[in-house]
Amino acid sequence: MRPRKTGYLFVAPYVLLMLVVGIYPVIYAVHLAFTSLSAHFSGARNFVRSWQNPEFLPAFAHVGIFLAIWLTALVVFVVGLSLILHSLDRRISAAFRFVFYLPAALAGAASVVLWLFMLEPGVSPWTFVLHWLGYDTLGDSIASGHLPMVFAVIAFWSGAGSWIVVMYGALATIPPGVLEAARLDGAGPWRTAVRIKLPLIKRWVAYMVIGAFAAGTQLFAEPQLVSEAVGGFLIQTWSPNQLAYYLSFQLDNFNFAAAISVDLLAIALISAAVILLRTGLFRVSD
Amino acid sequence: MWARMRRVARRGAAGQTASLLVLSLMAVFFAVPIVWAVLEAIGGTALHWLWNSAFYSTAGAAIAVSLCIPAGYGLATHDFPGRRPLLILTILVMLIPPNALVLPLFLEAHAAHLLSSPLAVILPYGFYPFGVYLAYLYFNTPRFRVLLQTARTDGCSEWQVFKRIAMPLSVPVSTLIAFLNFLASWTNFFLPWVMYWSFGTTSRYPLALGIAQQLDTTSGASFFGALVKLHTASPPSYVALLILVTCAPVLIVFALAQRWIGSSQLQGVFR
Repeated sequence: MRPRKTGYLFVAPYVLLMLVVGIYPVIYAVHLAFTSLSAHFSGARNFVRSWQNPEFLPAFAHVGIFLAIWLTALVVFVVGLSLILHSLDRRISAAFRFVFYLPAALAGAASVVLWLFMLEPGVSPWTFVLHWLGYDTLGDSIASGHLPMVFAVIAFWSGAGSWIVVMYGALATIPPGVLEAARLDGAGPWRTAVRIKLPLIKRWVAYMVIGAFAAGTQLFAEPQLVSEAVGGFLIQTWSPNQLAYYLSFQLDNFNFAAAISVDLLAIALISAAVILLRTGLFRVSD
Repeated sequence: MWARMRRVARRGAAGQTASLLVLSLMAVFFAVPIVWAVLEAIGGTALHWLWNSAFYSTAGAAIAVSLCIPAGYGLATHDFPGRRPLLILTILVMLIPPNALVLPLFLEAHAAHLLSSPLAVILPYGFYPFGVYLAYLYFNTPRFRVLLQTARTDGCSEWQVFKRIAMPLSVPVSTLIAFLNFLASWTNFFLPWVMYWSFGTTSRYPLALGIAQQLDTTSGASFFGALVKLHTASPPSYVALLILVTCAPVLIVFALAQRWIGSSQLQGVFR
């Protein structure tokens, strides 16, 4: 490596954009969060007041239940399916991985709208399942108690495939010699998966759980679009990001909104720092 | 792969350009009727959304690639004060969910009076720390350093080394960055929503907001009425078509760039 200042020229454009759309917005949001409506320094008042908002704790509780379901499903199915795929012939597993990955092309608005159709007994190909569960209308399918489950299903449907690709990639880096040795020692497929493969990919599982936790706290598209579908009343402040959005637009209170988005940023930053420092997946050479 | 890339870089450009031109013209002939059928089927306003989506995602990916490759190259091959902190900051920001920056970006765009500008989404799309990290990993190999050393010994300037060696060799990682970035912007919802939906800037809607608009049941449907049955602004068959069109470009790009995006490349990156 060369001790040269020309390095600055190569990174300068990227650093400039980072300042404009990465660093500065965060500083500005923090600034707003500590400022009153009349533009005076207001200490932690915006934070305390936003915590006292009657919608604040329920929003975090909703997302907490959603996360519990979603993270459990991710760990069980992504790890389980990746282990099964890894024990199959490469071609067969490639075909399945492609199918599992397909919904990633639809993430965002399209997947939520598609799932609203799936949950509407009038048009859904799953009508028999919905009837079996006792749901006769869309209103039954998305009754407020079901929402964490519904959002977890949508998020799992559109996101699990990408994680399966990553997890399979991690499994594929296990040297064939290790697996061969396990086989010679008499370990069956189950023991190999649990005793050999799983410990070797546990850093990736940790990365997935923390990363998905951070992404899940940011939930917005799913509840927002469901709220659009039912006319906007019921759940417009279901998740913390929705609440922040609602405060800034409906109530014109940018300072409260900034305070909530700083809360969420703190969660995201801490999660990112934990991934960086504890999983050892992202190393920086000297 | 390296040997092949070098050969491509060295080969006479003129002959290649001519063949590419012929192939492109024929590709237009083969593809246009099918593209026409799709565009005719969605028609009208949706074409405008499609155009906006394509514009934002392409511009974002172009910015991302043209910033990520030099930045990753600089971080991998030059030692300058601040290099390590910048690399750590890049990894940290790449691990933050993009949605976490949306409201701060909105507050900034609002203060800068950029809310109705395409730049309000294109600039954030072009900022892609994950791409910088991918490029950094790609260039950070002993083999590549030896290649650079050779070029420098031969008297190449820093700029020439980058332009003649690093850029031609970066095709696989550039393709990967462009694809992943395009996919992320194409499916993004929260950012265009706060920038354009909130103030009804309908002329700027990407496809994601157009699809969301299909759910806008403010036209008379009562609250309880809407709860009983799903109301869409267009018939379900048309909404389903829009959803299919949403995933088409990603599948096409995936098919075209599969060779470079294939799992073995990703494995190399994630190892």
